Amino acid sequence: MRELIEAIAKALVDNPEQVSVRAVEGEQVTVLELRVHPSDLGKVIGKQGRTARSVRTILNAAGMKLKKRFTLEILE
Amino acid sequence: MDSDHPPAEHAIENYLPLIESLLHEVTRHGRFELGFSIQKGAPLADDLEAPEYVVDFSGPDADLLLERNAALLSAIEYVVLKAVRLEEEHLGKITFDCQDWRRLRNEELRLTAQVAAERVIETGDPFTLSPMSPRERRIIHLTLKDRPQVLTKSEGTGAERKVVIIPANPPSHRARR
Repeated sequence: MRELIEAIAKALVDNPEQVSVRAVEGEQVTVLELRVHPSDLGKVIGKQGRTARSVRTILNAAGMKLKKRFTLEILE
Repeated sequence: MDSDHPPAEHAIENYLPLIESLLHEVTRHGRFELGFSIQKGAPLADDLEAPEYVVDFSGPDADLLLERNAALLSAIEYVVLKAVRLEEEHLGKITFDCQDWRRLRNEELRLTAQVAAERVIETGDPFTLSPMSPRERRIIHLTLKDRPQVLTKSEGTGAERKVVIIPANPPSHRARR
């Protein structure tokens, strides 16, 4: 799932080499921490958060297939 | 030269290989059992906004794609078109679809618009529709643009933005009972 977020984030930003995703596995849920270049934050969040919301929808759907919960944290 | 981005001509065709490769990544990494084909000329028989290209999905995960008002389909479309930096002018020229969902949804939206407009004309009261995406709101606006008795506008922000249908003529002459 880390690869999914990494692929999407790299496609969205202007500085793909600055994208990193860390998976923090909890018992119930895996948190994916996404870091991007500060100037790319707007690219992954989007107008009124619509891009981030869409990425989370994709992540949830992929998680459902694995019967696992994932949440996406965008770190500043 | 930046090979990641479409050339300056911005023809819609230039975006297709990027869309295709990103979709391969999303379906592979997300382990979605979905195939897709990019088709020219709309199977979407839609006089209002016939797209030039349709990305048509099929496969075992089609149901997942269409759950909750096609939330996943719309999310993939939004992210992919953002990622390839599709120019504003091209929005509406390419659409993502699955099992004819868009066409059926567009029909439903147009019917909703007509029914709501009738009601506004009858009662003289504004009518607020449920929240919709920009594309869906556009269909409502376009459906009612030739009905002189009503006007449409959008209110609210983000995911909560809704179309409001209002009477074109304030019903002052009919306010008295």
